[in-house]
Formats: sequence, structure tokens, C-alpha cells
Amino acid sequence: MAGVVKAPGAFAITPHKVSVCILVNIYASPSQISVPFPFSSVSQHNRLGLYLLALTKSCDDILEPKLDQLINQLREVGGLLDHWLTDHVTSRLSSLSSPDDLFNFFNELRETLGGPDSGVMEDDQVILDPNSNLGMFLRRCILAFNLLTFEGICHLLTNIGIYCKEAILSCSSYELRRVDDSGNDLESLSEYENMDLNLVFKKINEEMEARKRATEQVSFHLHLPKELSTLVEDIEVFADPKSEHNDKGRESSSYASGELLRDVDPNGGVFLRTNWQIQGYLMEQADAIEKHGSSFTLNAFELTLRLLQKLAPELHRVHFLRYLNNLYHDDYFSALENLHRYFDYSAGTEGFDFVPPAGCNSFGRYEIALLCLGMMHFHFGHPKKALEVLTEAVRVAQQHSNDTCLAYTLAAICSLLSEIGFSTTSGILGSPFSPMISVGTSLSVQQQLFVLLKGSLKRAESLKLKQLVAANHLAMAKFDLTHVQRPLLSFGPKTSMKLRTCPIIVCKELRSGYHLISEFCCEGSTMTADGAFSTAWLKNLQKPMGSLVLSQDNGSRNNSNPFLFFTQPSSIPGSVMQLVGSSYLHRATAWEIYGSAPLARVNALVYATCFADASSSSDAALVHVKLIQHLAVFKGYKEAFAALKTAEEKFLCVSKSRILILKLQLLHERALHRGHLKLAQQVCDELGVLASSVTAVDMELKTEASLRHARTLLTAKQFSQAAAVAHSLFCMCYKFNLQVESATVLLLLAEIHMKSGNAVVGLPYALASLSYCQTFNLDLLRASATLTLAELWLSLGSNHAKTALTLLHGAFPMILGHGGLELCARAYITEAKCYLSDPSFLVSRNPELVLDPLRQAADELQALEHHELMAEAFYLMAIVFDKLGQPEQREEAASSFKNHVMSLDHPHDVEDPIQSDTLLNA
Amino acid sequence: MSSKESCRIELRTAIRQLSDRCLYSASKWAAEQLVGIEQDPAKFTPSNTRFQRGSSSIRRRFRTNEITSTPPTGVAYVSTPVMEEDEAIHGDFYLLAKSYFDCREYRRAAHVLRDQTGKKSVFLRCYALYLAGEKRKEEEMIELEGPLGKSDAVNRELVSLERELATLCKNNTIDPFGLYLYGLVLKEKGNENLARKVLVESVNSYPWNWSAWSELQSLCTTVDILNGLNLSNHWMKEFFLASIYQELRMHNESLSKYENLQGMFTFSNYIQAQIAKARYSLREFEQVEVIFEDLLRNDPYRVEDMDTYSNVLYTKECFSALSYLAHRVIMTDKYRPESCCIIGNYYSLKGQHEKSVVYFRRALKLNKNYLSAWTLMGHEYVEMKNTPAAVDAYRRAVDINPRDYRAWYGLGQAYEMMGMPHYALHYFRKSVFFQPIDSRLWIAMAQCYESEQLHMLEEAIKCYKRAANCNDTEAIALHRLAMLHRELDQPEEAAFYYKKDLERMEAEEREGPNLVEALMFLATHCKTQKKFEEAEVYCTRLLDYTGPERETAKSLLRGMRIAQSGFPSMDVEHFHP
Repeated sequence: MAGVVKAPGAFAITPHKVSVCILVNIYASPSQISVPFPFSSVSQHNRLGLYLLALTKSCDDILEPKLDQLINQLREVGGLLDHWLTDHVTSRLSSLSSPDDLFNFFNELRETLGGPDSGVMEDDQVILDPNSNLGMFLRRCILAFNLLTFEGICHLLTNIGIYCKEAILSCSSYELRRVDDSGNDLESLSEYENMDLNLVFKKINEEMEARKRATEQVSFHLHLPKELSTLVEDIEVFADPKSEHNDKGRESSSYASGELLRDVDPNGGVFLRTNWQIQGYLMEQADAIEKHGSSFTLNAFELTLRLLQKLAPELHRVHFLRYLNNLYHDDYFSALENLHRYFDYSAGTEGFDFVPPAGCNSFGRYEIALLCLGMMHFHFGHPKKALEVLTEAVRVAQQHSNDTCLAYTLAAICSLLSEIGFSTTSGILGSPFSPMISVGTSLSVQQQLFVLLKGSLKRAESLKLKQLVAANHLAMAKFDLTHVQRPLLSFGPKTSMKLRTCPIIVCKELRSGYHLISEFCCEGSTMTADGAFSTAWLKNLQKPMGSLVLSQDNGSRNNSNPFLFFTQPSSIPGSVMQLVGSSYLHRATAWEIYGSAPLARVNALVYATCFADASSSSDAALVHVKLIQHLAVFKGYKEAFAALKTAEEKFLCVSKSRILILKLQLLHERALHRGHLKLAQQVCDELGVLASSVTAVDMELKTEASLRHARTLLTAKQFSQAAAVAHSLFCMCYKFNLQVESATVLLLLAEIHMKSGNAVVGLPYALASLSYCQTFNLDLLRASATLTLAELWLSLGSNHAKTALTLLHGAFPMILGHGGLELCARAYITEAKCYLSDPSFLVSRNPELVLDPLRQAADELQALEHHELMAEAFYLMAIVFDKLGQPEQREEAASSFKNHVMSLDHPHDVEDPIQSDTLLNA
Repeated sequence: MSSKESCRIELRTAIRQLSDRCLYSASKWAAEQLVGIEQDPAKFTPSNTRFQRGSSSIRRRFRTNEITSTPPTGVAYVSTPVMEEDEAIHGDFYLLAKSYFDCREYRRAAHVLRDQTGKKSVFLRCYALYLAGEKRKEEEMIELEGPLGKSDAVNRELVSLERELATLCKNNTIDPFGLYLYGLVLKEKGNENLARKVLVESVNSYPWNWSAWSELQSLCTTVDILNGLNLSNHWMKEFFLASIYQELRMHNESLSKYENLQGMFTFSNYIQAQIAKARYSLREFEQVEVIFEDLLRNDPYRVEDMDTYSNVLYTKECFSALSYLAHRVIMTDKYRPESCCIIGNYYSLKGQHEKSVVYFRRALKLNKNYLSAWTLMGHEYVEMKNTPAAVDAYRRAVDINPRDYRAWYGLGQAYEMMGMPHYALHYFRKSVFFQPIDSRLWIAMAQCYESEQLHMLEEAIKCYKRAANCNDTEAIALHRLAMLHRELDQPEEAAFYYKKDLERMEAEEREGPNLVEALMFLATHCKTQKKFEEAEVYCTRLLDYTGPERETAKSLLRGMRIAQSGFPSMDVEHFHP
């Protein structure tokens, strides 16, 4: 009841536990031989031991297995012994016909355990160590039995009866199929029939029938008057439309719903696993929800939770799981409701890993509730609200001196500030931060973020929260990647600072996350991992032990390989793997920004191959996106779209997934290149819609959408409009401190002015962009800015051709080494143009100097289907051939030119499936 | 409405039929209404009417005058024919079974009737089985309570009952009582839509079974569901509507229905208690107290609804009356949740919160879904500064009935106490959503916004405005509104609210620092606005009070007089070179 924290691991004796006890008794029967009676070899004996161990640990579900499931598993484990084992268990169970039998049974069990002081032991005698896993299990069972009231014992007896009867009913059909060796079984079967279980069984029979009738609900509808039967439809419709398309969630959903259909009727025979196992199960599910995101089936899991709540109303963690489930399915109101409910009940002090602090204060730990609430608002895209709540969390955590929570809260605020554009935090980040931001209040958001990050990192380090430290390092790296460190004080002695980002610092920060992987065990419990392996092992019983190596060789890569059960006694927790993996993702992004395509690709590949199992679905999607983008830039659209297709199969293409965005991006680029301006605009608008969905404005996506909008306008030769869009975009970037994006926008502005014929106006933009690139070490972007600058010079007149050429040659190594197809082609064409416009250059003297780059450009552009540039290349070629006096080749080039110009003007109508598909969907 | 006499006849038959089927609480209810009908004084001796005489002067005092016994025009009530008994001669077995039933030996009763096929026998057999299952369920609930609160005990008879009743329903050999039981079973099984349909059918064909109506009521949780019901117009429907309106917090509608009904059932204790409850929800405590006093005089051993009375006494801090009531109910029936709740209230009023919690816990042990006990226990824990326990108790109340605004309010308060105003806002929002007419809730929310951590004054002003609009008895809102506007440097608005507050204080003849503050502000404000006459009035009033304000007022007056009389006004000064 109110305010009482339940002791963890409460334990109730159930029929399943009784049968496990019987098995343990067989395993460790007090006999004198090292290999007790029914076993023929040590390995057989050990295998049963392992099985029992797994049985007591596994946590794949909330309910205990039924007897028939147990028998089936025994069949897998027992090998030759299976008949003997099942017979023994069932006959032992059914011999328990009166309360006194139960008393005797548990007394016998006690003999299996060696006493704590029984030092004198014969060498070859099997005695269960009372402190071993199985010994503990046995002791807990005995204790639980001794605590039962007489009514409780009666219930246990009835339940054992139901448990057996059910198994017999479901087994009989099975047994009949196996006629060949049925002699033994039939005998035992008839034994049950004759069994003298008098009233108990009679009662059970009635119940069973009643239950059966309850499950066949069909009959009942037929008897209803019409008006009544119309109502029935809404009783049980659980079908989840999603699950059909969804491979990821299927495994989790199928058994969940199957389980429920079977157990919806609670008339008995439904027993929860131990608290410990259920908590393990819930934790696993929490991981699964996070991993699979919205592809995790909502309804099936919700049903499991509802059942669990019904069976164990005091297990409040259910509400938390429900919150998570709703959170990842974007159900704001239910998520909010469940979050509040969970913390109202648990006061933040629940969970089996919760150890009440030494000076146990009775305040509860509601600051954790605030932290979670803040994260929820963040997730749903209410940054201001999230910040308010987190501020309160900081204050309450300080008040109750909960340092751990404070550290996490600070980290959360940091990620909030860094991910969501705030133009100002004044009035939000208020007084509680004053101990941290003691420098002054006139700091910009970025400076505040920096101070917070530092503080959070220090706090996490002093509290030895390894994962948090690693996460903070990653956040720090992210900050360093895109922000110049300025002095915090605008007065006082100024040290000379070079205003650049520092890649070395970024690398250092990213590297420091690795220590985590060796030290992870300090935090988190290994219980789940343990339980998970037990579960996996139980699920793969059918794999024979002998062929372990073989099955490994066969290259089955799934996690549930039984081999893992032995090779990885302690695995790395998923969260640690995730963190380390995300450091690779960060690296890939960093290299992308710095402009090293190969390194970015390598890191993305490392992530995709090594961390795919542990990664959340959004991260996995992100890495695919990166790789596909790489393909598009370096190999052209054909390959990119082929890869996209496989990615789409792999990830559920829900709305606003990264994959969908990628698809739109690729479509847009291709449409631009091909000159399908209408399509381009349409795709661009769709991107814009995705950017400001109902939940929140995604600044990054919004920037990109308007950037693409400007680009489309530019291609459509609506220069003034394009310039206006780009200009307002720049203003926004400036306001929200998106400096890397600013560089891109400036470059675009320069291009717009160049194309509109105002090269002089374009020059300062290009230079500004260059200086941004320099500051942030954006090498590739810098090269392309240099290229634009060269083009600008060139369009100023032929007397600037030399300057342009020098600039271009300076940027060539970077462009050719890391640039994509389009950039290279542009560089080649510009080079050729430089030569051609140089009055001192004579074509006839060295035609290859011009023709070679032009051919290269044409080749590379082929993959991109970039008609405009291709036309330009062929036009130039035609001119060169003309000057060289080679009319045939000139005509050839000219006709190619004509083709490309034609297809640019009349985009052919052959639509490929991908894009029409998208437009239909979107 | 049908005549009193026909009503009486209907009810008499119904009582016989209901108690014949062992539907005791329904027959009790019907009997209460039967004697509630005003008798014709000519026909009866004074001894017959004595029971009704209790109706005393007080009732007359509060009787709303004109509505009595004027039936709503234009409503045609269907007259449902009184059901014919199918078995004129009661089987001997039936008699035996009924005696067993009366001795609470349900299974035996069912066994006796195992081969009987009459509708009545079938009903009694099923009903006995149902009750036997319920009884066993209650026992098992305690036996099976596991470490995680597992109490999945179910009525094991439900399945077979449902099957049997469904068959009967299909064959059309089911009577309204059977339908009632069928509805009950369906409801327990969670099939609410069908249950509603079946119950509607039951009450349409036999409207006098109040138990069926109450089951139906528990299945109608929203107005939409209620409007979707296809109920024929019987006078029993009025009772149903009145009761469900109260449940749906449409207190005024409920009240008017009850007052209408009172025209016919003038002396019904039931209606009287319901009216009291409705008025309690409307916070008309004075009247509620009078009604309950009257009720207790007529029906001194009543325990039902007395918890509401104790709440009133608690709010009015009537120590002795509350202790008297507690004493009375405990002598009547110690193990009723209401009794425990009343005692809990008493201890709470005495400030002995630990003891109070003990009694609330006992009440909850008797009825786990006793809503107000959870909420009240939450209040006690708040008093004991055990906030986590309080939060837990409130949350349980809210989970039982999400519309319980008191518990939401309690949750908000608890979190505010812990210094989490932002978190508390969620709960306050919930509470004002369910009870937007209660000024205290709005004020609590406003104070939350005002707290130094949030300092969201605009929002606070909005809340105070709502509070001021819904009859803020403690007059906090107006004063706070004025203060806030002054703080936000909006003198016009501040003056407006100060004036309103002043008017209100004058009307209620209250004095105090608030009055002085209002006068002070208005005086200075009017002076700066050059409304000298008005300012003078305020200043003169201020002279009645002692303290520094008096001196300030004097100097203000002096300044104004100089400005007005002695010297040319500003306009003149303007023309000076």
C-alpha cells in the first residue's frame, strides 16, 4: 500500500516451480555415485544442469511455461532420457493429491541440499551447494512453501491439478501421432485416467471445460438476437495492420499475441515468473522498443502489459514500459499520462536495481520523474517546455543532493541545447544554473552550452558514471566540430586565440569514448544479459550439442546461436555497444564535414558491420543513409537507387524516417540534374513538409529544404527569387548559429549571383564562404568555394583567366581526391574554359590540354545524367574541334550537345518506378 | 406523471416480486420510495403518517416553492403493465431454495433448483450461483493476494452463467430479471456494449428494478453514451437520469430532476440524501447540513451517504456534531466503509492524522474502490508530510475514477510542496479540466504559476481571472489580480480590480490590511489620474484607519487641496511664459 517499497524478488510457489524442483531433485539426487541413476554420462548430467540453470534464469516472457512446454523442452534436452524424465515429472506431479503429499515432497527436497556445515562429504556424492544458483532456488521454494497458509496450499494443489490436466489434454494428440514408440506413453496415459484424484480432478475437469467454452467464443455469437450480435464485433479486434509489413517487430509480436490469446482467460494455470525474471523481461523489451522504434508493435505489447498489470498490479514498472511504448509510437497524451502514473506510484524509487540510500530520506526521487518528463518533451519536440522541466529537475536534484540525477540532467540539457536551435535562452535558464554559469549572464547560447558541457563532464567523471562520461565526450566532440571556441569573457586580458575549430580536439574527444568498453561493468547490471542468454539457449534447444562448431561454420550470424551461451559468459551491454558505435557514427560525420570522403565511408562501414546488432533502428538507418549518399555522389544515381531499394526493405518506411528523407533528397538531385524542375519543386516541398511536422521543427531538415528550394529556383533561372530565399535562409542560420550551414548558403548565394551575371556581387559571398570554411576546417567545401571563386573570376573577363586557373589548380588535389562526380566535372569544365578564354592559349598547339578534361567531365557526368553540364562540356568540345578543323568530331559533339539541350528542355516522360511510387505515397 | 395511486400500486407489486426473487437491495429501494409518496391524509390515521411527519419545519423552510408536484408538461409516460407472475403456485422447491438463499447458503439454494424450469426458478438458481461465485471470489481475493498485489480471483460461475443466459436470451425465454443478471455477468466479463444493451432491454420491460438501473448507470461514463441509450419513458427513468447526471457532474440538472421527483415522492429519504449530495457538490454547505440533520431525525440509523455529511461537518469544523455522528454510526454498524471514513474525518479534524489514516485504511480494506477514502487519506499523508505516500494514495483515487478532481488537486499540491511547481501544473490542469467551476483549483494553479521558480505572471493572471469568475468565496483572486497587475506595471487594470475588490469587501463588510491597501492604491492612482474628487473620497476613508497610511492620506489630501484651490491649475500654468 501507500508509501511502502516492496521487497524485491518476491517469490511465490507455483506448479511450474514444483516441477523444476522435481527436476532439480533428479539432477542432484542424494545418491552415492558421481553420475546418478538415470544418467548415462557426465555430459548428459551436465546438460540437464545447464537446462535447469537456464530455466531459472531465462526471462523471455512474463508467464511461466506450461507443463507441455516443459515436456517439449525436456524432450530436446533429455535425449535418450526424455521418456524417463517426463514420466518421472508427470507421475511425481500427479501423485501429489493431498496437502500432506505436498508437505512430504518439500521435506524430501530439503534432503537434497547439503547443510551449510556438512563438511564431511564423500567425494563422489552429489550434494547441492545451498549457495549455488539451483540451491538458492530450492531454498526459496521451500521457504515460500513454508510461508503458505493452508488455503494457499489448497490453491497450489488445485493449480497443480490444472497444470497436469492441461498438459495431458494437449499432449494426447501429440502422443497419438507418435504411434511407433507409444507403448510407454500410452501406459502412462492410462495411468492418469485411472488415477484416484477424486474430487479435485472432477472439479478441474469442469473448470477446464468451462474454460474451453469460454475460448470458443464463436458459439455464443450465434445464439444472440440480431441487435445484440452487432455489438459483439468490438470485443476483440487486436489485429495490428502494421505487423504484416514488418519483419522486425514480428518476432516480438507473434509470440506476445499468441501467448495472450492462450492466456486471456485467467481461470487458473496462469502464473507469473518471479519478480526478478519479469523485471529482466521488461528491461529487454525496453531495449527492444528503443532499438526498433516505431516498428515495434504497439498493440501486441500493450496487451502483454495489460495482462501483466492485471496479474501484478503492484508492479509499477509496467507503467514505465507503457510510457516507452507510447513514446516511440508518438502518442503524446498516453505517454504523458503513463509517465506521471509511473512516478506517482513508484516515487522514482522502484526497480530491482534500486538500493535505498544509506540515509534513507522519505522524499522519494521525483527529480528522476522531471528528468524523464524533460526527455519526453524533447522527444516530442517541445524544446522550451523540455528546458523548463529540466531546469526544475536541476533545482530539485540540487535540493535533494542527488548528484547522479543532476549529472544526467545536465547532459540532457546539453543535448537539448545542441540539437535544437535556440536563438536565446534568456528567461529560461535561470537561477538554478547560477552556480554553474557564474561568469555572467550575457553569454550566448553556445557559450552557455559549452560551460554546461564542461560542468556536466566534470560531474560525470567525479561520480564515475562511465557511460555518461563517454556520452559527454561525444557531445563535446560534436560541439567542437561545429563551434569555434571563443573566450568566455568579453573583457579583461585577451589571450590571442586562433578562431578555428580544432580537428585534433574532436578526435581526442571521440577517442576517449573507447575506454568505456573495457570498463563498462561498473555500471548497469549483467542480469539482463544473463537472462537473455538463458532465453536464447532455451529457444535453441533443438540444435544438437555435437555440431556446435559446424553450425558456427555454416555462418549463421544471428544472436541466438547456442555457441554464444558458452563463449560469452559476460557480454557487453547493449547500451555500451551503442555508445561506442555512435562514436563511429560521429567520426563518419566529422570526416564528412572535414571533407574526407574515404574516411567517412570507412567509419560508416565499420559501424554498419560491427555495431548493427546493437544499434537502434534510427542509427542503423542513418548509417545506411550515409553510405547511400556516398554512392550517389561517387557512383551515380543508378547504384544509389539500387542500394536504396535494399535499405527500404530493411527499414520500415514510416513517415519521417531517414530513409524517406534520403529518397526525397536523391530524387530532388536527380530531378535537378535531369531538368525535371516541376518534379524537383514538388519533392522539395515534400521535404519542407517533413521538416515542420506536427511534432516539431527539425532545424537541420528545414535548412536543407529551403536550401534545395533556392537551388531549384536557381536551376529554373529565377535568380532574384532564389537570392531572396537564400538570403532569408542565411538570416535564419545566423540567428540559430548554424555556422556550417551558413558557409554552404553563402556559397550558394555566390553561385546565384554568378549565374545571374553579377559576378562582382558574387565575389564577396564566395570569399565570406571561404573564410567560414577555413574557420571550421571544411576542406572539401572550401575547395568547392575556391572553384566557384575561380568561375567568378573567369566570368569577370578573359583577362582574369590566369587568376582563375591558379586558384583552380590550387584546389585540384582536394577536389580530385575527395570530391564527388559533379564537383570534379565542374572543375574540369572550368579548367577547360579557363584555357579557352585565355587569349594567349592556342588550341591547335595543345588540344589535349582542353579535350582531356572535357572528356573526363563528360564521362563522369554520364552517371549523374546532369544534362546542363554535359551540354556545356559538349559545346566546348565542339568549339575545340571546330578550331582544330575536325568537322566530323565537331558534328558528333554538336549532336550530343543538341541531345542534352533537348532533353533538358523536354524532360522525357519515362518515369521510373521509384519516383512515381514516392509521389503516390507522399 | 402517473398518479400517486398508480405509482403506489406499481411499487407494491414490484416490491413483492423483487423480494420474491431475492433482489433485496432493489426491493429495499422500491419500498423506500413507496413510503416516500405523500399519503392522502384523509384516508390514514395519524399513526400511519407519523413516519412522514418528521418532515418538520426545516424542510419547509428550504423547500423551493413552486416546483412541487408540477409534473413536466408534454412528457407522456408509458405505463408498463405490471408483470404477471408465471408461476402462480410456488413450487415447494422454490420455497426451500429461497429459505436457503435467505440464509446465505447460495450453493444449496442453486442445487435445490437444479431441475426446475420455470423462469423464476431459473433466475433464482442463476442468481444464487452468481452470488456464490462472488462470495468465493471475495475469499480468494484475500487468499491469493501475492507479493505483487496479484488478485486475479474471478467469479468462476461467470462462464457457465453467461452460456446459459445467452441460450435463454436466444430462445427468447428470458424474463427481465434474467436479463438483468445477464447484463451483470456481461459487465463482469468486460463486454460492456452488450451488457448495456441487455440492461436497457431489462429496464424497459421491467422498470422497477433499481439494481438494473444502477448497473446501467455504472456503464454510462459519458454523456454521449447516455444519449445513445434507447430508454422508454417511465417515471423510473427520471430517477435514473437524476442519478446519472450527478455522476456526470451535471449537478444543476440533477438537482432539478430530484426536486421534480420530490413533488411526487415528497418524503423519500433517498431523494433527500441525493439532493444533499448534489448541493454538496455545488458547495452549498449550509443547506446540506440542514437536510442531513433532518434526514437523521427521520432515519436515525442511516449510514448511507453519511460520509458526505461528515465532510460537511468537517469543512464547517463542527467538532462536537462530527463526534456525535461518528459515535452514532459506529453504534449502528462499525464495519461499514462509511463509518470508518467518518471516524477518519473526525480524527483528521482533531489533528490526529496517524489515527485518521488507520481508519481510512480500514475503510479501504472494506472497499478497495472507495474513492473518497483514498483522497482523504492522501490529505492526511500531506498533513503528515509523507508526500510519497500521499501521492500514491491520490494516484490510486485517480486511477479508480479519473474524473476525481479532488485527487488531481491533491497530487498537484503534493508536488508543489516538494518544490516542483512545473510538474505540479500538469495535475492542476487536470483538476480544473474536470471541475472548472471551483475557484480554489484555479487559485491553486495561479499560485503555482506565481511561484518564484516559474514566475509566469501572465498565466497566473489568467487563472485568477477564471477564479474570480467562478464565485471565489475567499476573495483571494481579486486581490491577487490587483497586486499582479500592479507588479506588471498596469495601473489601469490594477485600479479596476482594486475597485472590484473594494466593492466586494464593502458588501461583505470585511476589513483588514487588504482594504487599506486597496484604498491606498486607489487614492494615489486617482490622484495621478487627476480624478481629485475620487481620490479625496478614498483618502477620507483612509483617515479612519490608524497607521502610516493615515499620515500618507493626510499629506495626499493636503497636496490635492493645494493643487486644486490655492494655485491655478496646470492649464493655466501652461500659458505662463
